[in-house]
Amino acid sequence: MNATVAGLTWHSLVGRRRAVLLFVLPAVLLALALLVRLVSGQSAGAAADLLGSFSLGFLIPLLCLIAGTGAIGPEIDDGSIVYLLAKPLNRYVIAVSKWVVALGVIVIFGVLPTLAAGFIMAGSDSNLATGYAAGALLAGIAYATVFLLLAVLTRNAVVIGLLYALVWEAAIGGYVPGAQALSIQQWALAVTQKMVGDQASGLGIESAVGLGAGVTLLVVVTVAGLAYTGYRLRSIRINGDE
Amino acid sequence: MSSDSGAGSGVIHDIGFRHYEGPRLGRGYLIRSLYADSLRGCYGLGRSTKSKIMPFLLLLVMTAPAVIMAVVAGVLGLDELPLDYVSYIFALSSAITIFLAAQAPATVSRDLRFRTMPLYLSRPLTRNDYVLAKYGAMSTALFILIAVPQTALFIGALLAKMEFWPNAKGWAAGLLGAFLLSLVLSGIGLLIASITPRRGFGVAAVITVLLLLTLVSGVLSALSYENDQAALSAYFALLNPVSLVQGVLVWTVNAESTYPEPPPGTLGGLVFTAVMLLVIAGSYALLAARYRKVSAS
Amino acid sequence: MSEGRTRVGQVMMISVENLSKRYGAVTALDGLTFAIEPGVVGLVGANGAGKSTMIKILLGLLPATTGGARVLGLDVATDGPAIRQRVGYMPEHDCLPADMSATEFVLHMARMSGLPLTAARERTADTLRHVGLYEERYRSMGGYSTGMKQRVKLAQSLVHDPGLLLLDEPTNGLDPAGRDQMLELLRRIGTEFGIPMLVTSHLLGELEQICDHIVVVDGGRLLRSTSTADVTSASRILAIEVDERMDEVGRAMHAAGLLVHPAGRQLEVELVDDSTYDLVLDVVVQLGVGLHRLERRRHRMAEIFRVDPSLDPQSQASASTAGQAAAAALQQQWVTAAQNHRPQESDQPRGGDDEQ
Repeated sequence: MNATVAGLTWHSLVGRRRAVLLFVLPAVLLALALLVRLVSGQSAGAAADLLGSFSLGFLIPLLCLIAGTGAIGPEIDDGSIVYLLAKPLNRYVIAVSKWVVALGVIVIFGVLPTLAAGFIMAGSDSNLATGYAAGALLAGIAYATVFLLLAVLTRNAVVIGLLYALVWEAAIGGYVPGAQALSIQQWALAVTQKMVGDQASGLGIESAVGLGAGVTLLVVVTVAGLAYTGYRLRSIRINGDE
Repeated sequence: MSSDSGAGSGVIHDIGFRHYEGPRLGRGYLIRSLYADSLRGCYGLGRSTKSKIMPFLLLLVMTAPAVIMAVVAGVLGLDELPLDYVSYIFALSSAITIFLAAQAPATVSRDLRFRTMPLYLSRPLTRNDYVLAKYGAMSTALFILIAVPQTALFIGALLAKMEFWPNAKGWAAGLLGAFLLSLVLSGIGLLIASITPRRGFGVAAVITVLLLLTLVSGVLSALSYENDQAALSAYFALLNPVSLVQGVLVWTVNAESTYPEPPPGTLGGLVFTAVMLLVIAGSYALLAARYRKVSAS
Repeated sequence: MSEGRTRVGQVMMISVENLSKRYGAVTALDGLTFAIEPGVVGLVGANGAGKSTMIKILLGLLPATTGGARVLGLDVATDGPAIRQRVGYMPEHDCLPADMSATEFVLHMARMSGLPLTAARERTADTLRHVGLYEERYRSMGGYSTGMKQRVKLAQSLVHDPGLLLLDEPTNGLDPAGRDQMLELLRRIGTEFGIPMLVTSHLLGELEQICDHIVVVDGGRLLRSTSTADVTSASRILAIEVDERMDEVGRAMHAAGLLVHPAGRQLEVELVDDSTYDLVLDVVVQLGVGLHRLERRRHRMAEIFRVDPSLDPQSQASASTAGQAAAAALQQQWVTAAQNHRPQESDQPRGGDDEQ
């Protein structure tokens, strides 16, 4: 982990126009949470619905897409990654530094707002808030890794990432049971389900994979993804624009 | 011989330069040419092979279910299509949105990214002409994307020996929906995409904004419905461009609504139509304003 | 220039009057006034001297803060669209989309200039051949080298047969061979193809090869507007660099009858004919010094604008050495020739600094 690389990545992620989206999304989540609380009162069910669809299903994947691809994509795009790669830095260190920053962004703009929204809507008696926050965190870690790797592999990382997060996970994952086993959302949901405990099934929190499988897959994807990212950085090609 | 600045390709053949004394066509032709080129670009024609993958894939995704449905309906001898024309549009609205997100940046950010604008602006074309051509191209591209499956459904229905007139009316309604949705989505998509020269960010921004509007509108609508605010629930559909158009169609051609409540009565219908026109005009105006500020250098 | 264009000789190709452009506190152009007849004109200045700004104003892409300009007789403020129909523009920066081929792109640009499809196709093929792009024209431009990209940029500016070409740093980024080829191409365009051109550059030497007329700007102000012919019709120069005793060598050469002018670490000798070389070498051998450089140069633009108060034609009386007097005489020649040849040019440097 290299502090300079991390600092530069942080500034490029948060100090730009893309930061507007970073602020808007959690703001909307919190506003909705407040509204639900005001209108419907404290409700675990409403919390589960909103957090499941808005947070885990939209905010976290898109935030990770923006942060994960944004941590390295623009640099590869305009070729300035060359300056970084010309330094005697371990490629894995570069990968991890950027990954840490992306994660930081995700935690600040995704996980913490999820936690807050959960508390706002469901209070602290059920473990809903912490459960979803944990799910968001783990999903965020896995998504960030996958999208960072995608950004290193291809110029079309954003489109492919979108196709995965939206089409695969939401649409196909909803209809094809086998596909659900390959969905980061489901793995994270397994953890949430466990943390929420007994109320989970009543609230409709049900993952298609078991806890053990979910956690294992999350860990495997994260570690392998990071390792492969570092590996690919060693031989990255900076071509022309297409 | 393909050396670049080496010897050989620097040799100019002595054919002589021919001056051009032919017609130089006016702005209408220029707008049409830009329109045609941009429309082709939306489907990757005239560009590299990679840029054809996404649009044609999405066209396939849009059309295949229609074909399958028609075939199944024919085989089973159904009287009418399992999913009517307009509902089909909204069932596949994700694919339409993805097409917009992928191709709006290809239409406008591209010229910003590669700084081709000065080449356009140093020609007789004006900035407003440019915006008009691009808007027209994106709308047409979306229209084609939706109209092709609609037509496939219609043909399939006819081949399955269903009644002509109901299907013809449904098809016309579907085309109307295609037309309105294309205009609304193009305006929003192009506006968002024109803000950034980066293609990837443009794609993510368009999708994020549209999804955000869908989710917010859905949550608010469901919330108000659960609290017996039926009218309010219906009006929240205004926030989402897709349901906005759906609302207009519900009012005009009696389409089915996927929201808990359709727009209430005539007032609702008028409000939806007015908002839709406002969105189209507004996003066009903002797009034109954006391009007035684009640097010519 | 071909016959059909001499009618344009009645109209100034570009005329600029008291043109200024300010961006807040920064002045890009400051009260420029000049007029040029059709031909190949060079606009020379260091980076940031206002050349690109000038071109954009001429195209009507930027409004001037004060003053006005006319291109081909049309006012840039009011007749922008008409001007843009008649001119071709080659920008300095990269402007080619990476996912199109050269043919597709130039064809599109030809149509965007109003050419009907068939004519556009023909002219695209012709123009690309003229600029020297063959099979590579079908590949995506993302993979092109700088030289190829410059050619495509030139092609799109030419394809619609413009009445005037505005080329912003056409040799930017090219290696010496590519630079020569581009200059040769431009020379052909100006002479054989008969299209008037305004070429900008920050390299003085290359423009003198192709331009009939030079306009020099510095810091947004006009330094000179002269005809190249007047300048380069003066004598040629031999540049000599020795490793020691430069003064002695200079004096010895002067004694041998050569016109010598010291210029920094070099001695510049007027090259009369081949015997000059012999004289120089004799001197060098006799004195036993080492000869580092013996280079033949045509006059550089820089020499016209070198400031040396003792060279001021009005103060020749104060010239103390024969060498300086000789150089002063040379410069006087140029000034007189310029003044006699073109009475309407403005020759005064602006604002007191005329150092380039």
